[in-house]
Amino acid sequence: MTTSTQISHIQLQYSHTIGRGEQFGPGFTYPIQMARGESDLMYVLCRSSEYRPEGTRIAVCTVNEEYVNVFARGVSQQGPHEYNFEDGSLVWPTCIAIDSQQNVYVSDEWLNRISIFNKDGEFLGKWDISEGDGDGEINRPSGIAFDKDDNLYLVDSLNHRIQKFTKDGRFLAKWGSQGSGDGELNMPWGIDIDRQGNVYIADWRNDRIQKFTADGEFLMKFGSSGSGEGELNRPTDVAVDKDGIIYVADWLNDRIQVFDTDGSFVTLRTGDATVSKWGKDKLDANPEMWGERDRAEGLEREKLLWAPSGIAVDDENNIFVCEGPRNRIQVYRKQSPTFAGPRL
Amino acid sequence: MADKEIALMAHLMRRAGFGATFEELEARAAKGYEATVDELLDPEGQPELERDLMMRYQPQWVSQAGLEGQQEEWTYRMINTKRPLEEKIALFWHQIFVTGHAKCEYPKQQQIEFDMFRRDGLGKFDNLLQGLAKDPAMVFYLDNCMSHKDAINENWGRELLELFSMGVGMDGQVNYTEEDVKECARAFTGWTVTNSIPRYPYGKYEAKFIYDSGDHDNEEKTFLGETGNWNGEDIINIVARQPGTARFISRHLYNFFVADEPQVPAWQNTPPGDPEAIKALEDEYFRSGYDIRSMLRVLFNSDAFKNARFAKVKSPTETVVGTMRLVGDFDLPKPGMNAMALNIRYMGQDLMNPPTVEGWHTGREWIDSGTLVERINFTADAVGNTSHPGIQSIIQRLASRGPTISPEQLVDGCLDMLGAYELTEVTRNELLAMSQGEGDIRTGTQEFESRVGQMLQSIVATTEYLFA
Repeated sequence: MTTSTQISHIQLQYSHTIGRGEQFGPGFTYPIQMARGESDLMYVLCRSSEYRPEGTRIAVCTVNEEYVNVFARGVSQQGPHEYNFEDGSLVWPTCIAIDSQQNVYVSDEWLNRISIFNKDGEFLGKWDISEGDGDGEINRPSGIAFDKDDNLYLVDSLNHRIQKFTKDGRFLAKWGSQGSGDGELNMPWGIDIDRQGNVYIADWRNDRIQKFTADGEFLMKFGSSGSGEGELNRPTDVAVDKDGIIYVADWLNDRIQVFDTDGSFVTLRTGDATVSKWGKDKLDANPEMWGERDRAEGLEREKLLWAPSGIAVDDENNIFVCEGPRNRIQVYRKQSPTFAGPRL
Repeated sequence: MADKEIALMAHLMRRAGFGATFEELEARAAKGYEATVDELLDPEGQPELERDLMMRYQPQWVSQAGLEGQQEEWTYRMINTKRPLEEKIALFWHQIFVTGHAKCEYPKQQQIEFDMFRRDGLGKFDNLLQGLAKDPAMVFYLDNCMSHKDAINENWGRELLELFSMGVGMDGQVNYTEEDVKECARAFTGWTVTNSIPRYPYGKYEAKFIYDSGDHDNEEKTFLGETGNWNGEDIINIVARQPGTARFISRHLYNFFVADEPQVPAWQNTPPGDPEAIKALEDEYFRSGYDIRSMLRVLFNSDAFKNARFAKVKSPTETVVGTMRLVGDFDLPKPGMNAMALNIRYMGQDLMNPPTVEGWHTGREWIDSGTLVERINFTADAVGNTSHPGIQSIIQRLASRGPTISPEQLVDGCLDMLGAYELTEVTRNELLAMSQGEGDIRTGTQEFESRVGQMLQSIVATTEYLFA
């Protein structure tokens, strides 16, 4: 695989890395997804594991890596425990989205549940959804995203479809079925909605991205199986910025890719991580590790993305890449040329 | 389908894999025994596991999972693989080429080793040993990274000979001397691993083997009577052509796949239980150029193997994985995997964390009062859960025999469904008596389902069911 040398109107500039591996306090445990809140808050969804379920939680921090708090932690003791299935707990959380009131919605693909918290982490309630394939029923929900009217679009992964709900959980619409044709889906995962209300889906097992109108009419697809430029290997998530530029978490290719508004390939990144603030704190507390790093072979591997699962973009052109296996988020900034007159 | 063909197929699948449902046994028996052996010996002819699904639902298996997470992943693989011998041979080599999780800095280092076992474990033995000698998990586990040209560490050199290839001796004779151990260790000086990246802040990274020529002892060495400026590769080539190696590997294959033998330390002075079978394997070892697949083809097609039904105590791994494959649980990742996989540990086999470099003692040593209770409770709970798809399939299968079935049909039918199990007359009569008390049973009723579940539970609690 080669990196494109084509001149592009879009460039990604690495900014910084946030995170370190922790079950408690500043840090993440397999951050699978995140959502940007108001001001510079980030809500980071930590999936963790069954043998360390205390790490399953939502960690709140700032873009500048200031720790704020955690919530939705169902198991408080360390070590292997049975999951807590009670309201307000998470088992297999998949995605997080924030409505216009700054309430936090979380999908859980084991519980088939949407849990709702306020911006401070107080549990507000859940949607009582039946497992099934009827209207409004779900089977392993993954990506969720709000439109400008606070309707929630939900990726109903094992039903291979998208469903649209009011923010109170009332079923509105659905589209999609299993397949590989236009508008068909195969175990879709991530979702995002652009300024015009169009819906983008990471069509996971079809190795492509599909774009639909808000009503589910097929508009466009791009990507195919492979590891070349523009090719995808199980894309997990998609994000669209205010200008319509599309960012894809190319999961099993261990990279992110950027596509233009028409789906044409722009650029890709395989990772640029540096030591985060929290990481530096940890190393300062274990100073012998600074020496170990100096002696280590292949420290450049630390930069590389590994199975990026979530990608998000904010209105300040920050692109956040959630990298579960490394317990961190790599942050990039989109750079566009500056001309006289309105910018892109 | 003749009962004996099913019974033989059940035997093959328990040994070359982790057992099979009755439907799979029928399908395989229809293909034929030798065709099934060929298929098992060609794992790559079968589909791979859906790794993307595993990673999607259990993302911690991707990377930094600790011992329990690694055990979960391997257990899931064994339950769901379409290539049973690929996982079985990995288990075989793991029980011989022992490494321990606690001595791996990178949590997946052993999984990388197991990938080598999957890839090369049915191939040439000398090639496998070459890979093992450069495997970072092994280099670190047996301290070869601490063996220097001016200060050797004999750990790897000793175990290579004693536990991984030749064994201390055979037919009452020793296979090598203390001097050979030292010369072997000298030849492997400079075989080490690179400095690792510390675990903070982002976790560990895969270790890399490196040959440090500056730390290699370049002087002449005499090993097993051969003199030269030997390096590690030369030592493995010499080891591979020793009669002791052919005997040692043949006995291991026999002990794992055919019938329980005495524990390894006794092999120097205790002859094989079936010398003819071992001789046939030794001959094939040399004839094929040390090819494990060829040896296994001879083994599985031999009368010694076919006549060895129930001559082995199932290992904890075989017990748990075989039970899950039978009942059809965990065919897709779900919560509870950790608790389920831990049963293997509770039964006495903490995968990836063996008690010593000698690995686990096998056969009847798997069983003590504690592990027996764990084994029976786990198995009985699983087969007694009539909601499991595999148990439902058994119920439907037995119900299809007519509107009612007799107590005798219930006992024998359940034995068939569990893989053509055979009980002693005494045990069978006890189960029959228990069943006869309640008379004929109408199939298609809730009571029938319960009676099937109870009978399956009774069978898996017998002494006979401890064996494979």
